[in-house]
Amino acid sequence: MSINFLIPVVLILAFFGMPLFAVILSLALIGFYSSGIDLSVIAIEIFRLTNTPLLLALPLFTLAGYLLSHGNTSKRLVRLSRALLGWMPGELVVISLFACAFFTAFTGATGITIVAMGALLYPALTRDGYPKKFSLGLVTTSGSLGLLLPPSLPLIIYAVIVQQMDLEKSVTIKELFVAGIYPSLLMIFFIILWSAWTNRYTVKPKIPFDLREAYDALKEAIWGLPLPFIVLGGIYGGIFAVSEAAAITALYILFVQVFIHKETRLKDLPEIAKESMLVVGGILLILGVSLALTNYLIDAEIPSTLFKWVKQHIHSPLTFLLFLTIFLLILGAVLDIFSALVIMVPLIVPLAIGYGIDPIHLGIIFLANMQLGYFTPPVGMNLFIASFRFNRPITDIYKATIPFFFVLLTAVLIITYVPSLSLALIR
Amino acid sequence: MQKYILRIYNFLLATETFFLLFFLLTAVFLASIQIFLRNFFDTGIVWADSALRILVLWIGMIGAMFASRNKKHIRIDVLSHYLPVHLRNNIWRITELITAIVCGIVAYYSIKFIQYEYADGTIAFANVPVWLCETIIPIAFSIMSLRYFVYAFMPAYLLNPEPSDINPPSEFT
Repeated sequence: MSINFLIPVVLILAFFGMPLFAVILSLALIGFYSSGIDLSVIAIEIFRLTNTPLLLALPLFTLAGYLLSHGNTSKRLVRLSRALLGWMPGELVVISLFACAFFTAFTGATGITIVAMGALLYPALTRDGYPKKFSLGLVTTSGSLGLLLPPSLPLIIYAVIVQQMDLEKSVTIKELFVAGIYPSLLMIFFIILWSAWTNRYTVKPKIPFDLREAYDALKEAIWGLPLPFIVLGGIYGGIFAVSEAAAITALYILFVQVFIHKETRLKDLPEIAKESMLVVGGILLILGVSLALTNYLIDAEIPSTLFKWVKQHIHSPLTFLLFLTIFLLILGAVLDIFSALVIMVPLIVPLAIGYGIDPIHLGIIFLANMQLGYFTPPVGMNLFIASFRFNRPITDIYKATIPFFFVLLTAVLIITYVPSLSLALIR
Repeated sequence: MQKYILRIYNFLLATETFFLLFFLLTAVFLASIQIFLRNFFDTGIVWADSALRILVLWIGMIGAMFASRNKKHIRIDVLSHYLPVHLRNNIWRITELITAIVCGIVAYYSIKFIQYEYADGTIAFANVPVWLCETIIPIAFSIMSLRYFVYAFMPAYLLNPEPSDINPPSEFT
């Protein structure tokens, strides 16, 4: 008996509020059942989560972020940034963008940035007088900024996949790291321009530089300052991996919050753990079940069939790039970046080379679109993470991110159609 | 009678919280100790990395159970705002019931999977067998199934505990 008629029913229910993990799970169950595969495979796929050492960073950075947000760290950081940079207009937006880009660059998994940094930056932005809608949009959008900067994991994975394909033009990770710099700066620059324009009437009090205030703010924030150095020095100094950096960060913040600032009491810990791990659980569950669905889709050869069809219908490289952008946006919205890379790169790269596109440029296009896909409505992953993290209905997140989406879409189109932006430093 | 049921229920909730906190703090300290040992003593706990990866699964699954306790699982939900309340409630009963059934199916088949693994007897880390590490999957899905089953048949006045989830706050409209 075919039960495929259930697929549209599940999809409709998805739009009426069925939990996303259950939607993905239903689709996977239907698929595996129709193919006559034992449904125990779902448990195997979920258990596959334990094959990814980097995942440890997710609960630990989240815990660290919630601990930080529970105390007054963001208040201290704002006070310090204001004391040092308050004379500069829009200083907190600039700080937010670079901090997020930086964070995402070495966590790679962009949900972490929204969950951990968002907790820090959203209250700071609203306290600094930026409208809530703008702040929510900025934080959600910034969550995926930095995917193109070293040592971003998706860049490394792209390089690994392409290197195995035996292409005429070589692609090294060193080149890819350099290729992402100008495109990232372009995106940050565009968001700063948009922020300046949209906040032109936001009255932000100008603060003249005051040495006394700067000293006090520095003294108050002194325990927070080593954090970036612990993380970066640790990773780049070869002392620990990203997931271990997360553990040290969590431990350090736990220590500082409980014993030095005394803002978190030990008896608050269960509540903080509950609050933060509920978010992690929601994300990990979706990750686990989409591993199962992705595997089914590959078995059913759905992605490759789709792509054969595209090849028959598109002739010019410019049209190809346009359709590639649309396709990747949708792909980025529904698939996580690692599955998307693993499934699509082997298919798209030979095709793109056929249209005369440089594989390094293609890598930047691919990831730039994935970055946008993270907050492409209605199903971009980071929209849900933000909805979850800031406890807002998903429609609020849509409204808040839409302007940023179009600003960054412009940047991505420029990146797509101006190859020299990605290749200037290499070829 | 009701008093005792409530007491047992609260005890179960506290157990859930206890294990979550326990696994989470274990992960923080175990990973930190590992770094400390490697950098200062050039040694390490052999099974720590495998144990940490399993801990992430357990933390995630218990977190997922919490998310179902508070109906906080990620939803797309773009259309239900436009429905009249009683119709929306009925559609929600359907989505929760299907979620309960789906979780139930996964719970059942993961128990089957664990039975195979038990027969295999593979070791995950230290002396802990793989099947024991996997037990969290059926546990979490059974409890989620139970919770969504309860939501599907809840009295209507309990269905909308958080109005903020339904109506956008005023600053957005």
